[in-house]
Amino acid sequence: MSTPAIEVRDLRKSYDDVIALDDLNLHIPAGSFFGLLGPNGAGKTTFIETLVGLVRADAGSAAVFGHDVETEYRAARDAVGLAPQEFNVDRFFPIHEVLAHKAGYHGYGREKARERATQALEQVGLLQKRDQRFSALSGGMKRRVVLARALVTDPDLLILDEPTAGVDVQLRRELWDTVTALNESGTTILLTTHYIEEAERLCDEVAIMNRGRVVETATPEALMRRGTDRITVTLRDPPATAPAVEAGGDRVRSVKMDDDRLVVVATEGGLVAPDLVRELDRRGFEFVDLDVSRTSLEEVFVELTDSGNGDLGDDADTATDSGRREPRTAETPATDGGR
Amino acid sequence: MSTGSSTTQVATLARREILRFIRRPYNTFLPPIVTNTLYFSVFGIILGSRIGSVAGVSYIQFVLPGLVVLGAISDAFENASFSVFHGRWEDYIDEVTTAPMTHRGMVGAYVFASAVRGLLTAVLIVGVGLVFTAAPVTHPFHLVGFLVVTVVLFAGLGVVGGLAATDFDNLTVMNQFILRPLVFFGAVFYSLDVLPPLWRNISLLNPMVYMVDGVRYGMIGVTEIDPNISLAVLTGAALAVLAINLVLFRRGFGLTK
Ligand SMILES: Nc1ncnc2c1ncn2[C@@H]1O[C@H](COP(=O)(O)OP(=O)(O)OP(=O)(O)O)[C@@H](O)[C@H]1O
Ligand SMILES: [Mg+2]
Repeated sequence: MSTPAIEVRDLRKSYDDVIALDDLNLHIPAGSFFGLLGPNGAGKTTFIETLVGLVRADAGSAAVFGHDVETEYRAARDAVGLAPQEFNVDRFFPIHEVLAHKAGYHGYGREKARERATQALEQVGLLQKRDQRFSALSGGMKRRVVLARALVTDPDLLILDEPTAGVDVQLRRELWDTVTALNESGTTILLTTHYIEEAERLCDEVAIMNRGRVVETATPEALMRRGTDRITVTLRDPPATAPAVEAGGDRVRSVKMDDDRLVVVATEGGLVAPDLVRELDRRGFEFVDLDVSRTSLEEVFVELTDSGNGDLGDDADTATDSGRREPRTAETPATDGGR
Repeated sequence: MSTGSSTTQVATLARREILRFIRRPYNTFLPPIVTNTLYFSVFGIILGSRIGSVAGVSYIQFVLPGLVVLGAISDAFENASFSVFHGRWEDYIDEVTTAPMTHRGMVGAYVFASAVRGLLTAVLIVGVGLVFTAAPVTHPFHLVGFLVVTVVLFAGLGVVGGLAATDFDNLTVMNQFILRPLVFFGAVFYSLDVLPPLWRNISLLNPMVYMVDGVRYGMIGVTEIDPNISLAVLTGAALAVLAINLVLFRRGFGLTK
Protein backbone atom coordinates (compact mmCIF):
# COMPACT_ATOMS: atom_id res chain seq x y z
CA MET A 1 0.00 0.00 0.00
CA SER A 2 1.18 3.50 -0.73
CA THR A 3 2.09 6.06 1.94
CA PRO A 4 -1.08 7.43 3.52
CA ALA A 5 -1.93 11.07 2.88
CA ILE A 6 -2.39 11.62 6.60
CA GLU A 7 -1.32 9.42 9.48
CA VAL A 8 -2.08 10.65 12.97
CA ARG A 9 -1.17 8.92 16.20
CA ASP A 10 -2.34 9.84 19.68
CA LEU A 11 -2.47 13.54 18.90
CA ARG A 12 -3.22 15.69 21.93
CA LYS A 13 -3.89 19.37 22.31
CA SER A 14 -5.42 21.33 25.14
CA TYR A 15 -6.18 24.98 25.63
CA ASP A 16 -6.26 25.78 29.32
CA ASP A 17 -9.08 23.56 30.52
CA VAL A 18 -10.40 22.51 27.09
CA ILE A 19 -9.11 19.28 25.59
CA ALA A 20 -9.38 19.98 21.87
CA LEU A 21 -7.65 16.81 20.69
CA ASP A 22 -7.83 13.79 22.96
CA ASP A 23 -5.49 11.10 21.63
CA LEU A 24 -6.72 11.48 18.09
CA ASN A 25 -5.90 8.63 15.71
CA LEU A 26 -6.64 8.85 12.04
CA HIS A 27 -5.50 7.24 8.83
CA ILE A 28 -6.41 8.84 5.52
CA PRO A 29 -5.34 6.90 2.42
CA ALA A 30 -3.71 8.72 -0.47
CA GLY A 31 -6.17 9.52 -3.22
CA SER A 32 -9.26 9.32 -1.05
CA PHE A 33 -12.05 11.82 -0.63
CA PHE A 34 -12.28 11.87 3.11
CA GLY A 35 -14.97 13.56 5.17
CA LEU A 36 -14.52 14.76 8.72
CA LEU A 37 -17.77 15.32 10.54
CA GLY A 38 -18.51 16.35 14.06
CA PRO A 39 -20.41 18.89 16.13
CA ASN A 40 -19.10 22.40 16.83
CA GLY A 41 -16.02 22.23 18.97
CA ALA A 42 -15.26 18.58 18.16
CA GLY A 43 -11.69 19.50 17.28
CA LYS A 44 -11.82 19.33 13.47
CA THR A 45 -10.19 22.69 12.81
CA THR A 46 -7.65 22.16 15.56
CA PHE A 47 -6.64 18.87 13.97
CA ILE A 48 -6.35 20.42 10.51
CA GLU A 49 -4.26 23.28 11.84
CA THR A 50 -1.72 20.90 13.38
CA LEU A 51 -0.97 19.65 9.87
CA VAL A 52 0.23 23.04 8.62
CA GLY A 53 1.86 24.25 11.83
CA LEU A 54 -0.78 26.74 12.93
CA VAL A 55 -1.37 24.60 16.01
CA ARG A 56 1.39 22.84 17.88
CA ALA A 57 0.23 19.58 19.36
CA ASP A 58 1.15 18.80 22.96
CA ALA A 59 1.85 15.15 22.22
CA GLY A 60 1.51 12.51 19.54
CA SER A 61 2.53 12.68 15.91
CA ALA A 62 1.09 13.61 12.56
CA ALA A 63 2.55 12.98 9.13
CA VAL A 64 1.52 14.14 5.67
CA PHE A 65 2.57 11.71 2.93
CA GLY A 66 5.03 10.24 5.40
CA HIS A 67 6.57 13.60 6.39
CA ASP A 68 6.31 14.50 10.04
CA VAL A 69 4.58 17.86 10.37
CA GLU A 70 7.18 19.17 12.82
CA THR A 71 10.52 17.62 11.93
CA GLU A 72 9.89 17.62 8.17
CA TYR A 73 7.53 20.54 8.09
CA ARG A 74 8.73 21.85 4.75
CA ALA A 75 7.98 18.67 2.86
CA ALA A 76 4.68 18.26 4.72
CA ARG A 77 3.50 21.83 4.04
CA ASP A 78 4.63 21.61 0.45
CA ALA A 79 1.99 18.95 -0.12
CA VAL A 80 -0.90 20.74 1.56
CA GLY A 81 -3.35 23.29 0.19
CA LEU A 82 -5.66 24.54 2.93
CA ALA A 83 -8.88 26.46 2.51
CA PRO A 84 -9.49 27.42 6.14
CA GLN A 85 -12.78 27.92 7.92
CA GLU A 86 -11.94 31.47 8.98
CA PHE A 87 -10.78 33.94 6.34
CA ASN A 88 -7.13 34.86 6.57
CA VAL A 89 -6.34 36.65 3.36
CA ASP A 90 -3.83 39.44 2.81
CA ARG A 91 -5.78 42.73 2.77
CA PHE A 92 -3.15 44.86 1.13
CA PHE A 93 -3.11 43.32 -2.32
CA PRO A 94 -5.60 42.51 -5.06
CA ILE A 95 -6.56 38.85 -4.96
CA HIS A 96 -4.56 37.96 -8.04
CA GLU A 97 -1.40 39.15 -6.35
CA VAL A 98 -2.32 37.47 -3.09
CA LEU A 99 -2.49 34.16 -4.92
CA ALA A 100 0.73 34.80 -6.82
CA HIS A 101 2.46 35.57 -3.51
CA LYS A 102 1.16 32.35 -2.02
CA ALA A 103 2.51 30.41 -4.99
CA GLY A 104 5.82 32.23 -4.56
CA TYR A 105 6.00 31.31 -0.88
CA HIS A 106 5.79 27.73 -2.07
CA GLY A 107 8.66 28.19 -4.47
CA TYR A 108 7.07 29.10 -7.79
CA GLY A 109 9.04 31.70 -9.71
CA ARG A 110 7.34 35.01 -10.50
CA GLU A 111 6.05 34.24 -13.98
CA LYS A 112 4.92 30.76 -13.09
CA ALA A 113 3.31 32.06 -9.90
CA ARG A 114 1.26 34.57 -11.88
CA GLU A 115 0.18 31.93 -14.33
CA ARG A 116 -0.91 29.68 -11.51
CA ALA A 117 -2.81 32.54 -9.87
CA THR A 118 -4.69 33.24 -13.08
CA GLN A 119 -5.44 29.57 -13.51
CA ALA A 120 -6.68 29.17 -9.94
CA LEU A 121 -8.96 32.19 -10.22
CA GLU A 122 -10.33 30.81 -13.43
CA GLN A 123 -10.95 27.47 -11.79
CA VAL A 124 -13.21 29.11 -9.21
CA GLY A 125 -14.78 31.52 -11.69
CA LEU A 126 -13.32 34.71 -10.22
CA LEU A 127 -11.05 35.86 -12.99
CA GLN A 128 -13.04 39.02 -13.62
CA LYS A 129 -12.45 40.04 -9.98
CA ARG A 130 -8.71 39.55 -10.16
CA ASP A 131 -7.87 43.19 -9.44
CA GLN A 132 -10.23 43.52 -6.48
CA ARG A 133 -9.13 43.33 -2.91
CA PHE A 134 -10.48 40.59 -0.72
CA SER A 135 -12.56 42.98 1.38
CA ALA A 136 -14.47 44.14 -1.71
CA LEU A 137 -15.86 40.67 -2.42
CA SER A 138 -19.08 39.03 -1.33
CA GLY A 139 -19.07 36.23 1.23
CA GLY A 140 -19.39 33.50 -1.38
CA MET A 141 -16.64 35.04 -3.49
CA LYS A 142 -14.41 35.14 -0.44
CA ARG A 143 -14.96 31.42 -0.02
CA ARG A 144 -13.90 30.96 -3.61
CA VAL A 145 -10.76 33.01 -3.08
CA VAL A 146 -9.61 30.80 -0.22
CA LEU A 147 -10.30 27.75 -2.35
CA ALA A 148 -8.28 29.26 -5.20
CA ARG A 149 -5.49 30.07 -2.80
CA ALA A 150 -5.43 26.44 -1.69
CA LEU A 151 -5.29 25.31 -5.31
CA VAL A 152 -2.64 27.75 -6.44
CA THR A 153 0.20 25.63 -5.04
CA ASP A 154 -1.03 22.49 -6.84
CA PRO A 155 -1.37 20.49 -3.61
CA ASP A 156 -1.39 16.70 -3.37
CA LEU A 157 -3.61 17.07 -0.31
CA LEU A 158 -6.41 19.60 -0.48
CA ILE A 159 -7.98 20.40 2.88
CA LEU A 160 -11.33 22.16 2.89
CA ASP A 161 -12.54 23.29 6.29
CA GLU A 162 -16.25 23.96 5.83
CA PRO A 163 -15.91 25.24 2.28
CA THR A 164 -19.63 25.51 1.66
CA ALA A 165 -20.68 27.44 4.75
CA GLY A 166 -22.65 30.46 3.52
CA VAL A 167 -22.36 29.47 -0.10
CA ASP A 168 -25.37 29.47 -2.44
CA VAL A 169 -26.70 26.30 -4.04
CA GLN A 170 -25.26 26.89 -7.46
CA LEU A 171 -21.80 27.73 -6.22
CA ARG A 172 -21.90 24.75 -3.90
CA ARG A 173 -22.51 22.50 -6.88
CA GLU A 174 -19.74 24.11 -8.88
CA LEU A 175 -17.45 23.65 -5.95
CA TRP A 176 -18.42 20.00 -5.68
CA ASP A 177 -17.66 19.50 -9.35
CA THR A 178 -14.30 21.20 -9.01
CA VAL A 179 -13.16 19.12 -6.06
CA THR A 180 -14.57 15.90 -7.48
CA ALA A 181 -12.57 16.47 -10.66
CA LEU A 182 -9.46 17.16 -8.60
CA ASN A 183 -10.00 13.99 -6.61
CA GLU A 184 -10.42 12.00 -9.80
CA SER A 185 -7.14 13.36 -11.06
CA GLY A 186 -5.41 12.05 -7.95
CA THR A 187 -5.61 14.81 -5.34
CA THR A 188 -6.44 13.59 -1.85
CA ILE A 189 -9.28 15.64 -0.37
CA LEU A 190 -10.04 16.16 3.30
CA LEU A 191 -13.37 17.89 3.79
CA THR A 192 -15.06 19.02 6.96
CA THR A 193 -18.68 19.96 6.73
CA HIS A 194 -21.88 20.27 8.68
CA TYR A 195 -23.91 19.46 5.58
CA ILE A 196 -24.25 15.76 6.03
CA GLU A 197 -25.56 15.16 2.55
CA GLU A 198 -22.47 16.82 1.21
CA ALA A 199 -20.32 14.20 2.89
CA GLU A 200 -22.70 11.49 1.77
CA ARG A 201 -22.55 12.63 -1.81
CA LEU A 202 -18.82 13.32 -2.10
CA CYS A 203 -16.83 11.25 0.34
CA ASP A 204 -15.68 7.69 0.02
CA GLU A 205 -14.94 7.53 3.71
CA VAL A 206 -15.99 9.62 6.67
CA ALA A 207 -14.71 9.93 10.20
CA ILE A 208 -16.99 11.24 12.89
CA MET A 209 -15.25 13.26 15.56
CA ASN A 210 -16.53 14.18 18.94
CA ARG A 211 -14.71 15.81 21.81
CA GLY A 212 -11.31 15.49 20.27
CA ARG A 213 -11.59 11.84 19.26
CA VAL A 214 -12.67 9.88 16.25
CA VAL A 215 -15.74 7.94 17.32
CA GLU A 216 -16.32 6.16 14.02
CA THR A 217 -14.78 5.72 10.60
CA ALA A 218 -16.74 4.12 7.79
CA THR A 219 -18.07 4.61 4.30
CA PRO A 220 -21.16 6.82 4.17
CA GLU A 221 -23.16 3.83 2.88
CA ALA A 222 -22.14 1.61 5.77
CA LEU A 223 -23.12 4.30 8.24
CA MET A 224 -26.41 4.88 6.52
CA ARG A 225 -27.37 1.25 6.64
CA ARG A 226 -27.34 1.55 10.40
CA GLY A 227 -29.62 4.54 10.38
CA THR A 228 -33.26 5.00 9.64
CA ASP A 229 -35.13 6.66 6.82
CA ARG A 230 -38.38 8.51 7.06
CA ILE A 231 -41.29 7.81 4.75
CA THR A 232 -43.98 10.47 4.84
CA VAL A 233 -47.31 9.76 3.15
CA THR A 234 -49.85 12.59 3.00
CA LEU A 235 -53.36 11.13 3.05
CA ARG A 236 -56.59 12.62 1.73
CA ASP A 237 -58.73 11.31 4.59
CA PRO A 238 -56.30 10.81 7.42
CA PRO A 239 -57.37 8.50 10.23
CA ALA A 240 -57.23 9.78 13.81
CA THR A 241 -54.63 7.25 14.82
CA ALA A 242 -51.91 5.63 12.77
CA PRO A 243 -53.02 2.38 11.11
CA ALA A 244 -51.03 -0.77 11.88
CA VAL A 245 -48.61 -1.29 9.03
CA GLU A 246 -47.40 -4.70 7.94
CA ALA A 247 -45.14 -3.64 5.08
CA GLY A 248 -41.45 -3.59 5.81
CA GLY A 249 -41.66 -6.06 8.65
CA ASP A 250 -38.66 -5.76 10.97
CA ARG A 251 -37.31 -2.75 9.15
CA VAL A 252 -40.07 -0.49 10.49
CA ARG A 253 -39.17 1.32 13.67
CA SER A 254 -42.18 3.53 14.21
CA VAL A 255 -45.47 4.53 12.64
CA LYS A 256 -47.11 7.81 13.59
CA MET A 257 -49.68 10.32 12.41
CA ASP A 258 -48.60 13.90 12.12
CA ASP A 259 -51.64 15.98 11.08
CA ASP A 260 -52.66 14.52 7.72
CA ARG A 261 -49.36 12.74 7.26
CA LEU A 262 -48.47 9.20 8.06
CA VAL A 263 -44.82 9.02 9.10
CA VAL A 264 -43.04 5.69 8.96
CA VAL A 265 -39.50 5.47 10.24
CA ALA A 266 -37.62 2.46 8.89
CA THR A 267 -34.18 1.23 7.97
CA GLU A 268 -33.57 1.07 4.24
CA GLY A 269 -36.69 3.10 3.60
CA GLY A 270 -36.21 2.83 -0.15
CA LEU A 271 -37.12 -0.85 0.08
CA VAL A 272 -40.01 -0.35 2.49
CA ALA A 273 -41.77 2.45 0.60
CA PRO A 274 -43.15 0.42 -2.36
CA ASP A 275 -44.64 -2.22 -0.06
CA LEU A 276 -46.06 0.46 2.16
CA VAL A 277 -47.70 2.22 -0.77
CA ARG A 278 -49.22 -1.06 -2.03
CA GLU A 279 -50.53 -1.89 1.41
CA LEU A 280 -52.12 1.50 1.95
CA ASP A 281 -53.64 1.39 -1.51
CA ARG A 282 -55.08 -2.04 -0.85
CA ARG A 283 -56.64 -0.75 2.35
CA GLY A 284 -58.32 2.09 0.50
CA PHE A 285 -56.25 5.09 1.58
CA GLU A 286 -55.94 7.78 -1.01
CA PHE A 287 -52.68 9.70 -1.01
CA VAL A 288 -51.79 13.20 -1.98
CA ASP A 289 -48.03 13.03 -1.62
CA LEU A 290 -45.21 10.64 -0.84
CA ASP A 291 -41.77 11.55 0.42
CA VAL A 292 -38.83 9.41 1.45
CA SER A 293 -36.17 11.38 3.24
CA ARG A 294 -32.86 9.68 3.56
CA THR A 295 -31.44 11.66 6.39
CA SER A 296 -30.12 8.59 8.00
CA LEU A 297 -26.47 9.56 8.03
CA GLU A 298 -27.46 12.54 10.03
CA GLU A 299 -29.27 10.41 12.53
CA VAL A 300 -26.33 8.07 12.85
CA PHE A 301 -24.21 11.12 13.32
CA VAL A 302 -26.42 12.47 16.06
CA GLU A 303 -26.51 9.10 17.76
CA LEU A 304 -22.73 8.81 17.67
CA THR A 305 -22.03 12.28 18.93
CA ASP A 306 -25.00 12.86 21.17
CA SER A 307 -24.32 10.64 24.17
CA GLY A 308 -23.20 12.64 27.15
CA ASN A 309 -23.15 15.80 25.10
CA GLY A 310 -25.45 17.87 27.24
CA ASP A 311 -24.50 21.17 25.69
CA LEU A 312 -25.37 19.93 22.23
CA GLY A 313 -28.57 18.18 23.22
CA ASP A 314 -30.89 20.83 21.86
CA ASP A 315 -29.40 20.52 18.47
CA ALA A 316 -29.80 16.81 18.41
CA ASP A 317 -33.45 16.73 19.52
CA THR A 318 -34.90 18.50 16.54
CA ALA A 319 -33.35 16.03 14.19
CA THR A 320 -34.92 12.86 15.47
CA ASP A 321 -38.55 13.00 16.31
CA SER A 322 -40.42 16.07 15.15
CA GLY A 323 -42.70 15.39 12.24
CA ARG A 324 -41.11 17.80 9.85
CA ARG A 325 -37.48 18.68 9.83
CA GLU A 326 -36.34 22.14 9.12
CA PRO A 327 -32.68 22.88 8.65
CA ARG A 328 -31.64 23.27 12.23
CA THR A 329 -29.80 26.54 12.32
CA ALA A 330 -28.09 28.69 9.80
CA GLU A 331 -24.76 27.12 10.71
CA THR A 332 -25.87 23.53 10.78
CA PRO A 333 -28.46 22.97 8.09
CA ALA A 334 -28.21 19.24 7.93
CA THR A 335 -30.79 18.21 5.38
CA ASP A 336 -30.66 20.55 2.44
CA GLY A 337 -27.27 19.62 1.10
CA GLY A 338 -28.29 17.83 -2.06
CA ARG A 339 -31.63 19.27 -3.01
CA MET B 1 6.43 17.77 -6.02
CA SER B 2 9.54 19.79 -5.35
CA THR B 3 10.00 22.02 -2.35
CA GLY B 4 10.73 24.80 -4.80
CA SER B 5 13.56 27.20 -4.53
CA SER B 6 14.29 28.69 -1.14
CA THR B 7 15.53 31.86 -2.75
CA THR B 8 12.27 32.27 -4.65
CA GLN B 9 10.27 31.83 -1.47
CA VAL B 10 12.24 34.41 0.48
CA ALA B 11 12.38 36.81 -2.47
CA THR B 12 8.59 36.62 -2.81
CA LEU B 13 8.06 37.50 0.83
CA ALA B 14 10.62 40.31 0.73
CA ARG B 15 8.99 41.66 -2.41
CA ARG B 16 5.53 41.51 -0.89
CA GLU B 17 6.79 43.34 2.19
CA ILE B 18 8.48 46.05 0.17
CA LEU B 19 5.54 46.52 -2.20
CA ARG B 20 3.27 46.95 0.78
CA PHE B 21 4.91 50.20 1.78
CA ILE B 22 6.03 51.37 -1.68
CA ARG B 23 2.44 51.32 -2.90
CA ARG B 24 1.34 53.58 -0.09
CA PRO B 25 3.63 56.55 -0.66
CA TYR B 26 1.49 58.95 1.35
CA ASN B 27 1.94 56.76 4.38
CA THR B 28 5.50 55.82 3.71
CA PHE B 29 7.32 58.77 2.27
CA LEU B 30 5.33 61.85 3.08
CA PRO B 31 5.56 61.73 6.90
CA PRO B 32 9.38 61.72 7.14
CA ILE B 33 9.55 64.55 4.60
CA VAL B 34 7.08 66.69 6.52
CA THR B 35 8.46 65.89 9.97
CA ASN B 36 12.04 66.53 9.00
CA THR B 37 11.23 69.74 7.21
CA LEU B 38 9.78 70.89 10.52
CA TYR B 39 12.82 69.67 12.48
CA PHE B 40 15.23 71.41 10.17
CA SER B 41 13.25 74.63 10.26
CA VAL B 42 13.07 74.74 14.03
CA PHE B 43 16.34 73.20 15.14
CA GLY B 44 18.40 74.21 12.20
CA ILE B 45 17.27 77.63 11.27
CA ILE B 46 15.39 79.15 14.19
CA LEU B 47 17.38 77.66 17.10
CA GLY B 48 20.53 76.97 15.13
CA SER B 49 21.26 80.59 14.44
CA ARG B 50 21.30 81.23 18.20
CA ILE B 51 23.30 78.14 19.15
CA GLY B 52 26.13 78.75 16.76
CA SER B 53 28.52 75.85 16.26
CA VAL B 54 28.57 72.52 18.09
CA ALA B 55 31.58 70.21 17.98
CA GLY B 56 33.09 72.48 15.39
CA VAL B 57 30.23 72.45 12.86
CA SER B 58 27.07 74.48 12.47
CA TYR B 59 24.18 73.23 14.59
CA ILE B 60 22.09 72.24 11.58
CA GLN B 61 24.92 70.08 10.28
CA PHE B 62 25.37 68.59 13.71
CA VAL B 63 21.68 67.69 13.94
CA LEU B 64 21.36 66.23 10.43
CA PRO B 65 22.98 62.82 11.15
CA GLY B 66 20.90 62.49 14.31
CA LEU B 67 17.70 63.13 12.41
CA VAL B 68 18.72 60.60 9.77
CA VAL B 69 19.18 57.94 12.43
CA LEU B 70 16.02 58.93 14.24
CA GLY B 71 13.92 58.63 11.08
CA ALA B 72 15.58 55.45 9.88
CA ILE B 73 15.17 53.50 13.11
CA SER B 74 11.63 54.70 13.73
CA ASP B 75 10.53 53.59 10.28
CA ALA B 76 12.43 50.30 10.34
CA PHE B 77 10.92 49.45 13.72
CA GLU B 78 7.46 50.67 12.88
CA ASN B 79 7.37 48.86 9.56
CA ALA B 80 8.46 45.50 10.95
CA SER B 81 6.27 45.62 14.04
CA PHE B 82 3.22 46.80 12.11
CA SER B 83 3.60 44.30 9.30
CA VAL B 84 4.08 41.31 11.57
CA PHE B 85 1.41 42.38 14.01
CA HIS B 86 -1.17 43.29 11.37
CA GLY B 87 -0.56 39.94 9.68
CA ARG B 88 -1.19 38.21 13.00
CA TRP B 89 -4.19 40.37 13.82
CA GLU B 90 -5.86 39.63 10.48
CA ASP B 91 -4.40 36.10 10.45
CA TYR B 92 -3.00 36.46 6.95
CA ILE B 93 0.51 35.86 8.24
CA ASP B 94 -0.71 32.26 8.01
CA GLU B 95 -0.10 32.53 4.27
CA VAL B 96 3.57 32.74 5.12
CA THR B 97 3.77 30.53 8.18
CA THR B 98 1.97 27.62 6.49
CA ALA B 99 4.38 27.77 3.53
CA PRO B 100 7.30 25.38 3.22
CA MET B 101 9.75 28.20 3.92
CA THR B 102 12.68 28.05 6.32
CA HIS B 103 12.37 30.10 9.49
CA ARG B 104 15.62 31.78 8.59
CA GLY B 105 14.08 32.81 5.29
CA MET B 106 11.00 34.27 6.96
CA VAL B 107 13.05 36.31 9.43
CA GLY B 108 15.42 37.37 6.66
CA ALA B 109 12.62 38.64 4.45
CA TYR B 110 10.79 40.58 7.16
CA VAL B 111 13.98 42.17 8.47
CA PHE B 112 15.35 42.93 5.02
CA ALA B 113 12.19 44.69 3.85
CA SER B 114 11.95 46.83 6.98
CA ALA B 115 15.65 47.64 6.83
CA VAL B 116 15.13 48.79 3.24
CA ARG B 117 12.35 51.04 4.42
CA GLY B 118 14.62 52.51 7.10
CA LEU B 119 17.33 53.18 4.53
CA LEU B 120 14.87 54.82 2.15
CA THR B 121 13.79 57.09 4.95
CA ALA B 122 17.44 57.91 5.68
CA VAL B 123 17.95 58.91 2.05
CA LEU B 124 14.80 61.05 2.11
CA ILE B 125 15.94 62.86 5.22
CA VAL B 126 19.34 63.57 3.72
CA GLY B 127 17.44 64.89 0.71
CA VAL B 128 15.39 67.21 2.88
CA GLY B 129 18.59 68.22 4.72
CA LEU B 130 20.19 69.22 1.44
CA VAL B 131 17.54 71.89 1.05
CA PHE B 132 18.75 73.50 4.28
CA THR B 133 22.45 72.74 4.41
CA ALA B 134 25.24 70.66 2.92
CA ALA B 135 25.35 66.91 3.57
CA PRO B 136 28.98 65.92 3.47
CA VAL B 137 30.17 62.31 3.40
CA THR B 138 33.57 62.13 5.06
CA HIS B 139 33.74 58.39 5.79
CA PRO B 140 31.43 56.59 3.35
CA PHE B 141 32.24 53.09 4.62
CA HIS B 142 31.34 54.03 8.18
CA LEU B 143 28.27 55.92 7.07
CA VAL B 144 26.85 52.97 5.15
CA GLY B 145 28.00 50.45 7.76
CA PHE B 146 26.36 52.31 10.65
CA LEU B 147 23.15 52.91 8.76
CA VAL B 148 22.80 49.30 7.64
CA VAL B 149 23.56 47.82 11.04
CA THR B 150 21.24 50.30 12.71
CA VAL B 151 18.23 49.64 10.49
CA VAL B 152 18.76 45.87 10.71
CA LEU B 153 18.90 46.09 14.49
CA PHE B 154 15.67 48.06 14.71
CA ALA B 155 13.91 46.02 12.04
CA GLY B 156 14.77 42.95 14.12
CA LEU B 157 13.48 44.63 17.27
CA GLY B 158 10.33 45.52 15.33
CA VAL B 159 9.80 41.86 14.48
CA VAL B 160 10.06 41.00 18.17
CA GLY B 161 7.56 43.76 18.95
CA GLY B 162 5.19 42.55 16.24
CA LEU B 163 5.31 39.01 17.58
CA ALA B 164 4.95 40.02 21.21
CA ALA B 165 2.15 42.56 20.80
CA THR B 166 -1.35 41.44 21.68
CA ASP B 167 -3.02 44.67 20.70
CA PHE B 168 -2.38 47.69 18.46
CA ASP B 169 -1.98 49.72 21.65
CA ASN B 170 1.08 47.64 22.54
CA LEU B 171 2.79 48.97 19.43
CA THR B 172 2.05 52.56 20.44
CA VAL B 173 3.37 51.85 23.92
CA MET B 174 6.61 50.39 22.58
CA ASN B 175 7.06 53.45 20.45
CA GLN B 176 6.25 55.95 23.23
CA PHE B 177 8.04 54.36 26.15
CA ILE B 178 11.00 52.62 24.57
CA LEU B 179 11.86 54.25 21.27
CA ARG B 180 11.18 57.91 22.12
CA PRO B 181 13.28 58.10 25.33
CA LEU B 182 16.17 56.32 23.64
CA VAL B 183 15.97 58.79 20.81
CA PHE B 184 15.68 61.92 22.88
CA PHE B 185 18.54 60.96 25.14
CA GLY B 186 20.51 59.63 22.21
CA ALA B 187 22.59 62.72 21.49
CA VAL B 188 20.55 63.60 18.45
CA PHE B 189 20.06 67.19 19.50
CA TYR B 190 23.08 67.81 21.71
CA SER B 191 26.72 66.85 22.05
CA LEU B 192 27.73 64.47 24.86
CA ASP B 193 30.34 67.02 25.83
CA VAL B 194 27.70 69.32 27.23
CA LEU B 195 26.67 66.70 29.80
CA PRO B 196 28.13 66.36 33.30
CA PRO B 197 30.36 63.23 33.57
CA LEU B 198 27.70 61.12 35.35
CA TRP B 199 25.07 61.75 32.68
CA ARG B 200 27.61 61.30 29.98
CA ASN B 201 28.41 57.82 31.31
CA ILE B 202 24.76 56.92 31.66
CA SER B 203 24.19 58.08 28.10
CA LEU B 204 26.84 55.64 26.93
CA LEU B 205 24.48 52.80 27.89
CA ASN B 206 22.08 54.00 25.23
CA PRO B 207 22.65 52.24 21.89
CA MET B 208 21.23 55.27 20.08
CA VAL B 209 24.26 57.27 21.14
CA TYR B 210 26.57 54.96 19.21
CA MET B 211 24.43 54.98 16.12
CA VAL B 212 24.09 58.73 16.03
CA ASP B 213 27.74 59.20 16.77
CA GLY B 214 28.75 56.71 14.11
CA VAL B 215 26.59 58.25 11.40
CA ARG B 216 27.81 61.69 12.41
CA TYR B 217 31.34 60.42 12.00
CA GLY B 218 30.50 59.05 8.58
CA MET B 219 28.99 62.36 7.48
CA ILE B 220 30.84 65.21 9.11
CA GLY B 221 33.83 63.35 10.48
CA VAL B 222 33.10 64.38 14.07
CA THR B 223 33.02 61.70 16.73
CA GLU B 224 33.01 61.34 20.49
CA ILE B 225 33.43 57.56 20.61
CA ASP B 226 35.76 55.27 18.65
CA PRO B 227 33.61 54.48 15.59
CA ASN B 228 35.08 51.03 15.03
CA ILE B 229 34.20 49.92 18.53
CA SER B 230 30.70 51.35 18.13
CA LEU B 231 30.25 49.53 14.86
CA ALA B 232 31.43 46.25 16.34
CA VAL B 233 29.09 46.57 19.34
CA LEU B 234 26.11 47.46 17.17
CA THR B 235 26.83 44.61 14.78
CA GLY B 236 26.89 42.25 17.76
CA ALA B 237 23.59 43.65 18.97
CA ALA B 238 22.01 43.27 15.52
CA LEU B 239 23.16 39.66 15.24
CA ALA B 240 21.84 38.92 18.70
CA VAL B 241 18.43 40.31 17.81
CA LEU B 242 18.35 38.32 14.56
CA ALA B 243 19.13 35.19 16.57
CA ILE B 244 16.24 36.01 18.90
CA ASN B 245 13.96 36.47 15.88
CA LEU B 246 14.97 33.06 14.61
CA VAL B 247 14.29 31.37 17.93
CA LEU B 248 10.89 33.06 18.16
CA PHE B 249 9.92 31.94 14.65
CA ARG B 250 11.13 28.40 15.32
CA ARG B 251 9.07 28.23 18.47
CA GLY B 252 6.12 29.76 16.72
CA PHE B 253 5.98 32.50 19.35
CA GLY B 254 2.86 34.56 18.67
CA LEU B 255 2.35 32.57 15.48
CA THR B 256 0.98 29.24 16.62
CA LYS B 257 -1.80 28.21 18.95
N1 LIG C 1 -7.21 29.39 20.12
C1 LIG C 1 -7.97 28.72 20.98
N2 LIG C 1 -7.95 29.02 22.30
C2 LIG C 1 -8.70 28.33 23.18
N3 LIG C 1 -9.52 27.33 22.85
C3 LIG C 1 -9.61 26.98 21.56
C4 LIG C 1 -8.83 27.65 20.56
N4 LIG C 1 -9.10 27.10 19.36
C5 LIG C 1 -10.01 26.12 19.59
N5 LIG C 1 -10.30 26.04 20.92
C6 LIG C 1 -11.23 25.09 21.53
O1 LIG C 1 -10.91 23.80 21.08
C7 LIG C 1 -12.09 23.06 20.84
C8 LIG C 1 -12.08 22.53 19.42
O2 LIG C 1 -12.26 23.61 18.52
P1 LIG C 1 -12.23 23.44 16.95
O3 LIG C 1 -12.22 24.78 16.36
O4 LIG C 1 -11.13 22.52 16.59
O5 LIG C 1 -13.63 22.71 16.68
P2 LIG C 1 -14.33 22.34 15.30
O6 LIG C 1 -14.59 20.89 15.33
O7 LIG C 1 -13.55 22.89 14.16
O8 LIG C 1 -15.70 23.11 15.45
P3 LIG C 1 -16.62 23.87 14.34
O9 LIG C 1 -17.45 22.81 13.72
O10 LIG C 1 -17.42 24.79 15.18
O11 LIG C 1 -15.72 24.55 13.39
C9 LIG C 1 -13.25 23.98 21.17
O12 LIG C 1 -13.68 23.68 22.47
C10 LIG C 1 -12.65 25.34 21.11
O13 LIG C 1 -13.29 26.21 22.00
MG1 LIG D 1 -13.90 24.21 12.72
